[in-house]
Amino acid sequence: MAKIEIDGKSLEVDDGIMVIQAADQAGIYIPRFCYHEKLSVAANCRMCMVDIEKAPKALPACATPVTDGMVVRTHSERAVDAQKGTMEFLLINHPLDCPICDQGGECPLQDQALGYGADVSRFTEKKRVVEDKDIGPLIQTAMTRCIHCTRCVRFGQEIAGIMELGAVGRGEHMEIATYVGKTVDSELSGNMIDLCPVGALTSKPYRYSARVWELKSHSAISPHDCIGANMHIQTLRNVVKRVLPRDNEAVNQCWLADRDRFSYDSVNSEERLVSPLLKSTDHYEVTDWKVALDRVARELRKVISEHGADAVGGLISPTCSSEEHFLFQKLLRSLGCGNIDHRLKQRDFSDDPDAALYPGSQIPLEAVDSLESIFLVGSNVRKEQPLLGLRIRSANRVGANVYALNSLDYDFNFTLEEKSIVPPVEMPGALARVASVLASEQGVAIPASVSAWANTVALRPEFDMIARGLLKNPDKAGIVLGDSAALNPRASVLRGIANWIHENFGIGRIDLAQGNSAGAWLAGSVPHRGTRGGVAQVTGINALEMIESPRRAYVLYGIDADVDVIEGTRLTAALAGADFVVSLSAFKNDTMNKADVALPICPFTESSGTYVNLEGRAQLSNAAVPPLGEARPGWKVLRVLGNHLGVEGFDYIDIDDVRSELSFRDIEDAPLFQSHTIVEPDESDRVGSGTAFQRIVDVPPYRIDSYVRRAPSLQATNDNPIKPFVSMNPKQFSEFGLRNGITMNVVAEDGNGVTLEVRADARVPENCVYVPYGYIESIPLGGARQVAVEEV
Amino acid sequence: MNALTKFLKDYSLIELLKGMRVTGGNLFAKKITVYYPEEKTPKSPRFRGLHALRRYPNGEERCIACKLCEAVCPALAITIDSTEREDGTRRTTRYDIDLFKCIYCGFCEEACPVDSIVLTDIHEFHFEEAGKHVIDKSHLLELGDQYEQQIAQARREDAPYR
Repeated sequence: MAKIEIDGKSLEVDDGIMVIQAADQAGIYIPRFCYHEKLSVAANCRMCMVDIEKAPKALPACATPVTDGMVVRTHSERAVDAQKGTMEFLLINHPLDCPICDQGGECPLQDQALGYGADVSRFTEKKRVVEDKDIGPLIQTAMTRCIHCTRCVRFGQEIAGIMELGAVGRGEHMEIATYVGKTVDSELSGNMIDLCPVGALTSKPYRYSARVWELKSHSAISPHDCIGANMHIQTLRNVVKRVLPRDNEAVNQCWLADRDRFSYDSVNSEERLVSPLLKSTDHYEVTDWKVALDRVARELRKVISEHGADAVGGLISPTCSSEEHFLFQKLLRSLGCGNIDHRLKQRDFSDDPDAALYPGSQIPLEAVDSLESIFLVGSNVRKEQPLLGLRIRSANRVGANVYALNSLDYDFNFTLEEKSIVPPVEMPGALARVASVLASEQGVAIPASVSAWANTVALRPEFDMIARGLLKNPDKAGIVLGDSAALNPRASVLRGIANWIHENFGIGRIDLAQGNSAGAWLAGSVPHRGTRGGVAQVTGINALEMIESPRRAYVLYGIDADVDVIEGTRLTAALAGADFVVSLSAFKNDTMNKADVALPICPFTESSGTYVNLEGRAQLSNAAVPPLGEARPGWKVLRVLGNHLGVEGFDYIDIDDVRSELSFRDIEDAPLFQSHTIVEPDESDRVGSGTAFQRIVDVPPYRIDSYVRRAPSLQATNDNPIKPFVSMNPKQFSEFGLRNGITMNVVAEDGNGVTLEVRADARVPENCVYVPYGYIESIPLGGARQVAVEEV
Repeated sequence: MNALTKFLKDYSLIELLKGMRVTGGNLFAKKITVYYPEEKTPKSPRFRGLHALRRYPNGEERCIACKLCEAVCPALAITIDSTEREDGTRRTTRYDIDLFKCIYCGFCEEACPVDSIVLTDIHEFHFEEAGKHVIDKSHLLELGDQYEQQIAQARREDAPYR
């Protein structure tokens, strides 16, 4: 501890912290531009000059460590003189365009110019002008405004992990720019907008649409990933104008992923469904809620009385709030139907009885920063869960070893200590190999099923490296199962082996899932379990079975039935053949064409709800704007539909009633994972079966749900290929004499095929092809595990 | 002495004559009555009447949608929506002034960084239909175009005193 004095206030602060940090702790204001508590110290703006006793001149507070007995004055003549001098220099080249600048009103330079700036400029020479750069669809630049604080550069280097912006040139000619012609493609790029202390980097979708002083803030939770990022939705006259992060050290710190920040674009889009629609022969008629709900109730009752309640299937999007999941399953279960599922892309449900309470993490998000080894299994964590990726990166920066077992050699923003890239079919075997190395190192007996899986793949040196790395400090190790692991045809085996590793070696587990999956599980939005993991009143069949054995009636909630499910073609066929289909959605979509009734529900910006993140943290999101048109919050629609159907227990007055019935109070203490039976491999799991290509799938980050797919700004990013493609290892690519950009037929085992552009992609292992999910064009391939690539 | 003075004042009708002198003076003085609306009193160049949006001489509208007038308006009479125009400039898509709410304080003109919104010296206006008291951007620009010379003249006259 060091005893210091700032502005006459005696403080006792930690040794080695900077003066600015000590001042911040004591609530003493020191002006600054380049200093940011999450970034390294650059000390290049020189705004935080303070007067330190015994120092020959004013010193920058952000780069001066405290020493015992230091006496600091922030408002002495020398300090103020230095600050005013700095401000005069900063304002030399800064344009006076505050009235049209989007930063105006929340601009540190504007505020501090008021405090430290002179009335008139003494500078009469030519001002410098810097050409604006087009750095992508999310960030608008006005580089003449830049004061070279390099916060954006340091953010890229330190937090996002890719240095996309850098300083080019020196002195007067210094410019912040990307590498020639490149865009900023980081999944966290929006944070640079927040960091920029001037209007040099502003939000492109928000550009010129409002001024900050007229916006109202509403606290909300991001529905897109399982982190549950806290955010402010800002509105003007009941229109969502922008989304900003809300600081929460335990969850998102002060960051927000681009997906959370820019997905609001979709809720203002033309594609919103704004009134209930009834299908009559070939077109839709706008109707009112009463007629529509009566029709739904009548038709559902009819199907149930004729074919039994099992003839109904309910599919719900994992991005919905926990209350919606709860009422959805309660409604269907009250009708005697247990066919409820939110796991729309999952292929392997065989571990349902053993499944965890919810897909989650035993390691709190904050503790991820201090893990020493992290093992990614089937996860592109950087794009799937950007805010977790950021924490893994920060762990990696202080020495954590990150290992990956993936089917695609993803480009991470941290360095991998060791990686193993295997086709999807070899994933369980490879993980079993790692498990068996762990077992032999520790002298633990290995179950027969795990060794049977281990025998399906050849031993590779990477497996040893990974296992030894994990064993260095198992208490500080984590095994992350990502999207591709959950989409794997043998996902249950991956989960089983991960669980076995966890139980025997104490390595923590982190299961990643889409959206509010944890909330969905806890609400009972799965066919085999009730609310909070309890016994279900009625059990039923899972999403894949609902597609494979068509139902007589479908209730679709918040999904685009073609792209959101694994077997889009078959589900659309099933919908066409069904007696009755009702689609509750915030958007107009192709599903509507198959639905007899389409009901407009509110997106996350218009409805209150609880979202549970991977730690089991239930967070409340508030409605920011009133419902658009005739759309109504989903929980209200389900409640009234319950009344129309005449089922008991649907007399909620407000959402708090629903929330108190669905209590999340005791979930933190409940054991998350449980022992797992691991099925033995069969013929289809042997490597090299069949001659076709192994198909690798994942869902690109901006194709995951109905919101991001309709956000024009996100759709225009480089992370989001406009059309699906088929990519192949460059070696095989040239062996087959292919060229980038030509089209080929990709044919699934069942004969369904699509014509896609081919690309060479070094990330793809040999004998595999990569075709992403989430595109209309790739739907016919469904969940095919193997595909043939043929000439058109 | 006082009694004597009072007596003389009362009986010489001096007070009455004093009053009659004022009356007489006004009777023959130049008349200041103005036959409104045929005749009008002169107005200060600072007179604050009906609003107008001005343009630059090249025809480009001045307003840049900074919304400072909206923010400063004490009566919340101004409503602005803004967007990026095709040429990349910041422009309004809506500029409404509710003339019933407006208190003609002139703060909007003071706040405007580009001298776009101005209060003209037009004080005689009326509305014939309900709802017409909210004047929109096209109307305001029309007023600006129509009275530009007057507006510019008034600003020129006032300039030395600002």
